[in-house]
Amino acid sequence: MNLTHNVKTHVLTARVLILGLLAVMFLIPWRHAYGADMVKVGLLQEPKTLNIWLASDRWSRKVLGQIYQPLYIRDPKTLKFIPWLAQEHPVYDEATLSYTVKIRPAKWSDGSDLTSEDVAFTGRLIKEFRVPRYASKWKFIKKIETPDRHTVRFYLKTPKAIFLTRTLTTPIVQKREWTEVIEAAKKTEKPLHALLNHKMDRPVSSGPFVLKDWKQGAYLFLQKNRYFFGQDKTIDNRKLGPHIGGIIFKIFGTSDAAIMALKKGGIDMFWWAIQPGYLEDLRKHENIRVFYNEKSALYYMGFNVRRPPFNDVNLRRAIATLIDKDFILKRILQGYGIKMYSIVPPGNHFWYCPNLPRYGEGLPKEARIRRAYEILRKTGYTWQVPPIDTEGKIVKAKDIRLPDGRPMKRFTILTPPADYDPNRAMCGMIIQEWLRAMGMPAFSKPMAFGSLIQQVKTRRDFDAFILGYGNLSLDPDYLRNFFHSRNDKPKGWNMSGYKNPEFDRIADLSAGTMDRDKRRALIWQMQKIIMNDVPYIPLYNPKLVEAVRSDRFTGWVEMLGGIGNIWSFCRLRPR
Amino acid sequence: MELRRYIIRRLVQIAIIFFVILTVLFMLFRLAPGDPVSRMVDPDMTPEEAQILISELGLDQPLWMQYLYYLRNFFMGRFGNSFHYGQPVVTIIANRLPNTILLFTTSIILSAFVGVFLGKIASWHKGGKVDAWMTIGALATHTVFLPWLALIMIWVFAYKLGWFPITGMISEEVWLNPEAGIVAKSLDVLHHMALPLATLFLIHFGSYLLIMRSSMLETLKEDYILTARAKGLSEKVIRNHHAAPNAALPVVTSVGLSLAFSINGGALTETVFTWPGIGRELVFSVSHNDYPLAQASFLLIAIVVLVSNLVVDVLYAYLDPRIRY
Repeated sequence: MNLTHNVKTHVLTARVLILGLLAVMFLIPWRHAYGADMVKVGLLQEPKTLNIWLASDRWSRKVLGQIYQPLYIRDPKTLKFIPWLAQEHPVYDEATLSYTVKIRPAKWSDGSDLTSEDVAFTGRLIKEFRVPRYASKWKFIKKIETPDRHTVRFYLKTPKAIFLTRTLTTPIVQKREWTEVIEAAKKTEKPLHALLNHKMDRPVSSGPFVLKDWKQGAYLFLQKNRYFFGQDKTIDNRKLGPHIGGIIFKIFGTSDAAIMALKKGGIDMFWWAIQPGYLEDLRKHENIRVFYNEKSALYYMGFNVRRPPFNDVNLRRAIATLIDKDFILKRILQGYGIKMYSIVPPGNHFWYCPNLPRYGEGLPKEARIRRAYEILRKTGYTWQVPPIDTEGKIVKAKDIRLPDGRPMKRFTILTPPADYDPNRAMCGMIIQEWLRAMGMPAFSKPMAFGSLIQQVKTRRDFDAFILGYGNLSLDPDYLRNFFHSRNDKPKGWNMSGYKNPEFDRIADLSAGTMDRDKRRALIWQMQKIIMNDVPYIPLYNPKLVEAVRSDRFTGWVEMLGGIGNIWSFCRLRPR
Repeated sequence: MELRRYIIRRLVQIAIIFFVILTVLFMLFRLAPGDPVSRMVDPDMTPEEAQILISELGLDQPLWMQYLYYLRNFFMGRFGNSFHYGQPVVTIIANRLPNTILLFTTSIILSAFVGVFLGKIASWHKGGKVDAWMTIGALATHTVFLPWLALIMIWVFAYKLGWFPITGMISEEVWLNPEAGIVAKSLDVLHHMALPLATLFLIHFGSYLLIMRSSMLETLKEDYILTARAKGLSEKVIRNHHAAPNAALPVVTSVGLSLAFSINGGALTETVFTWPGIGRELVFSVSHNDYPLAQASFLLIAIVVLVSNLVVDVLYAYLDPRIRY
């Protein structure tokens, strides 16, 4: 009896507590929406730092991109450079090998003028401290002069194409803000360490937004910068704002939670690629708009061309023929992607070479096998059981032998694991099956990403791999990085160990060619050489699918790389 | 006197174990695949720049030298800066730890109280319907897959019913509102805490219930319970004053260790609910080879677990006069 009474009392108390808590939740007045003109953006991880020199994670960069601005940015449609902090295009003086840039009247968020001194200071800081990620874009600058407050002149040691695309797109920092920091850093035993570990609480902004509040682990609030140079101006035929009060970046641990928040109206944009599985549900939602854009990305299969069997170009071509990119696109990417035929993504219109070999393009499976068989047979490969029998029928091949008569040894295709990237892991599996059909002892091996990179890049002990770059630079200088023989060294970017003196020559020439059209001709030549020798087989470029609420704001600007760009945030308006 | 000797002996053991942990942690992270720099580089970074970064992080030194620096820094109380945050790891941990303690310690205490209470009732009704339902309920909630339960809780109570926020610990609508005071902000945290707390409670209370139940059943067979009955004491007094305190000993051990482990949070819970605690930082630091942050976090856990083991042992002697060291 007592016991029953006790239980009842406890249950009653629990009910009262729960009801009281719920009542408090719903009745308290602070639930009024704060800042109706703030765009709420969902991020999957918290920005790690606001120190621009340290920031290596994409989340920090998304935030810092709204704060620190470069001299030039890209037009969202043409991808051509247009003056941003600069007033006009740089003026080249061939005699002195110098570029003169005029700075437009602009202010920092503390109300002080942004001058040529800030630009020169930024460059000198990078050079002096050899700041990783920026130093290589500035090391060929001999001297920086500031003839007046709005003119800066860069003297180059040698012509460098990336000066226009990478050096002049470096974010500019305020001299006043960083002078003390670097002076203090220089007095330490490790100046660069001190610079990278400087805690930046309130970065002074030249962009459309300025940091107002950061509650770590919860949100980061960027408020409209009232000193933004572009406010109410028309740049590149686009009237700029910002027309919003600010951006609130909210952190979500999983895509599921972020998408629920998007559907519920808790955020206006989820700044991350949405997986196809969510799309059907999102498309049905009347207040959600889905954007499909191309990425500057490359997912590819690479070979170790330093050793057999992949030191033979014919084998690589045969494998390129066997790979059915249509299948990968339809079955693995569920149609959300494009086929790649070059190392340069096709969305990068200016540099992409359209006339490249398309191995096995459009062929059905049997025709691919026949073509690959022809390539290999003519170059001396033999089989115990060839893939085409005496009657011309396709059969399962067995035990392929190299042109020197030795059996082909078992080889592995390293891929990231499925939990890291299911697409690449599945590509590895399916390519394994296509190669086995030709009698090749291929084994797909998913491997932790860190180990994979170590194996391929540092130890260089591998046969083949499937990797990708999700955010390639729009300047194609990476072609040189990936395939120049100089970069075939531990931790170098030439992971395949590709060596071609002709390619090296053209690559070096392209790096020093300042004329865009002439450089394009060279870049196209480089693409042709690579696709002829196929140290990499480009596979696909996934579509970037993003979703936003359509009921609160309008004005998203689409470009290569999606809608999360400075143009969007400068043009968004409340509905 | 005996207890003091025991404590000193245990402290010496703890120091030795801790030194072993210190060394194992260092080796474990260095031998793990991948390196911190490969996560930071992009195709635009030249090998020379990557080398500068490697040297900057002190990773260009031989492993034995890195180990000596690590030991020296540890004994000087310097845990280093996070590779990614660029901040002292102590600051990062100090920032995250209170959030973890708030959620996980509350959940363990709540689960323990409810578990012990219900465990008593279940054992008292052994074989009856109450016992059956409670045991089945405890087993079911205790064995459910936590991320699944968490997502279901979010979907039902946050998304469908809209009673609670979807994730996070605070709401910007409150914290950015200049009119919101400390009460509003505290209520906001409670509001956000409700779902993760309920999830953790559902997962954990069952284990305490089952431990308490089985311990009570053993205790109820003891002679002193029979004596108490023979003395004519009421059932409530026998249950609450004679049986329960003795039966609670295994629960004390379990709660003590759970409290110690609670400081590492729960990577899954914190990730699904976007709770800004130490569990998420642990996952990040390990997956991104952020050695200083990972090492410091694990060392903190090691210290707390070792010390709390000692505390539980001492507490045992206090709770059960029969136990002497």
